Amino acid sequence: VRRTPRDELADATAHGGLYLRRLIRSQLSLSVVALVAFGGIVGALPLALLLLPGLQDIYVLGVPLPILIVAWPPFPLFIAIGVLYERRAQALEESFRDLVEPPP
Amino acid sequence: VIALAAILAVTGATVGLGLYGVRLARTTSDLFVASRAVTPWWNAAAISGEYLSAASFLGIAGLQMKIGSAALWLPLGFTAGYLALLLFVAAPLRRFGAYTISDFAEARLGSPRLRVLAAMIVLAIAGFYLVPQLKGAGLTLTEVTGAPYWVGVVAVGAIVAINVASGGMRGITYVQAFQYWTKTFAIALPACLLLIHLGGLPERAALFGAELPQAPDGGLTVTLDAPQAVTFPEAAAYTVDGVAARAQAGEERVLPAGELALPADTVVPVAEGIDAQRGEDWARPVAAGGDASPVFVYSLLLATFLGTMGLPHILVRFYTNPDGPAARRTTVRVLGLLALFYAFPLVYGALGRVLVPQLYITGDTDSVVLALPEAAWPGLGGELLGALVAAGAFAAFMSTASGLLVSVAGTVSFDLRRRRGAPARRRHFRTAALGGVVLPVALALVARELDISVLVGWAFALAASTFCPLLLLGIWWKGLTTRGAACGLVAGTAVATAAIFTGLAVAGGHPTVDALLTQPAVISVPIAFAVMVLVSLHDRAGLRAADAELLAMHAPEGLGLGEA
Repeated sequence: VRRTPRDELADATAHGGLYLRRLIRSQLSLSVVALVAFGGIVGALPLALLLLPGLQDIYVLGVPLPILIVAWPPFPLFIAIGVLYERRAQALEESFRDLVEPPP
Repeated sequence: VIALAAILAVTGATVGLGLYGVRLARTTSDLFVASRAVTPWWNAAAISGEYLSAASFLGIAGLQMKIGSAALWLPLGFTAGYLALLLFVAAPLRRFGAYTISDFAEARLGSPRLRVLAAMIVLAIAGFYLVPQLKGAGLTLTEVTGAPYWVGVVAVGAIVAINVASGGMRGITYVQAFQYWTKTFAIALPACLLLIHLGGLPERAALFGAELPQAPDGGLTVTLDAPQAVTFPEAAAYTVDGVAARAQAGEERVLPAGELALPADTVVPVAEGIDAQRGEDWARPVAAGGDASPVFVYSLLLATFLGTMGLPHILVRFYTNPDGPAARRTTVRVLGLLALFYAFPLVYGALGRVLVPQLYITGDTDSVVLALPEAAWPGLGGELLGALVAAGAFAAFMSTASGLLVSVAGTVSFDLRRRRGAPARRRHFRTAALGGVVLPVALALVARELDISVLVGWAFALAASTFCPLLLLGIWWKGLTTRGAACGLVAGTAVATAAIFTGLAVAGGHPTVDALLTQPAVISVPIAFAVMVLVSLHDRAGLRAADAELLAMHAPEGLGLGEA
């Protein structure tokens, strides 16, 4: 009898462990990529504002630019990262599903 | 009077909807199964409704008025916390089927003792988080009706305790969703109308230029209920109850109780604990030193980013999602709803600096959101808007405090004293709900001087230093052992609380040290992670096969894998 990935996973064999680890690793690296994208931008923001004090003298809509930068653009960025991540995570799960239950 | 009526209406609606919802939910077999028909949008509104607390509604604007634009990092971090939750926790935890963090600790690592440890930390975090909600309630009633501070604290504590004990608010998605829209409407409408009414931001020199906050054209009168220690940033003439006096620039004085009057254009004195800032400094989100120092900003961002996932009242909401993918969809929507709400508090912080500078004298900057509408718009318009924000503020206290108290009562009755039959546990849950509110009420009564945002910051710092490493390592690393988790939890708690209490005892030292003591996450989080990993690596004997648990967390639904 040929053993399917599902059997290996359900019986927690060494093979099954490998499948599982591959799934977890792919999900984790996706999350870390998203985290790095987020952390790179938001993490650099305080430092950038500190090192470029001249931005304080640029007024947009009557408000110094740094205030606007902190108050508004990060939020759409969060949502964008969230949406992209959700799609990719879903796709990874679909491919795992195809592995366990190959489409006919 | 209008404001009081609005507050009573919101409180009544909350209690009423809660009781009605419970009756509705009891007719179905299972509260949680019933909630699973809920769509991601409703769920997201409910999560946001429970999350937006006094710290968001009053605290951000208050802190912004007090320390300046560095407070703008708060809403950023509060929202980013859900991104961390989305990336690392939402779907796996939903699939795992543990309802609380204590459940997760026991189910993942198989140790009932770890559950007890986690439960104690839940109580500490919930306590830190309850106090500012009650403080907000006291402030709001004082501002609206002139009642003494303790009335609001005790009243809201009692209402919430009775409500939770009677079963209201438990997992009632629609009530929390209603609260979200109440709060967003209550903060957005006055902000927009005020900006239109004033024609944009007034007095830019005090906001962004070289000026300090000043008394307006007609002069400024403030009633001081008690003697108030203040610093005069510039020389000023003033009268207290008609007795004239002068102060030198930089002079510290204790103003006697009575009616303080400042002539027009006098720079207002600032209460003890507040630094008078010129507009150009106030407007900086980061600066080399002081309250806006980069250490403070990064530590605050880290605490809020990693701490949200460890708040006891948040995770339990995710179980109303039918499955892992729905948990992700819900979280993305939460990001959107929070972004909408957080577009508005900063309007109050900025307008408040110009229009209600008397709050600098009394030090009650946390009440800026409540005081602003009537100050900016004398007459019926301001009164109506003031009533609206007061009602929104009460929605914030009620929803967050109820959610926290449910987790406190649940923790005390289920985690700390277990398995004694369902009726006994129900009775115990009620007693715990009534008892669990007493200590936070007492703390709120003595903690009036502490900023709401600072208190909430501690809760986040503690959550980030304990449950964040437990969840992240527990979900993604099979090498985590019980001993490693326990040591990490203890280390994180110890470092975070030690820093916070040291900061209380020795405030006013070196600014960087001060920032670290009030926002210890940047130190305590790495320590907690390191301890958990290192102890786990050396605890070979404690290593157990966790493949089944990890499979349950990560395998997609519908494959028949890892599902109980």
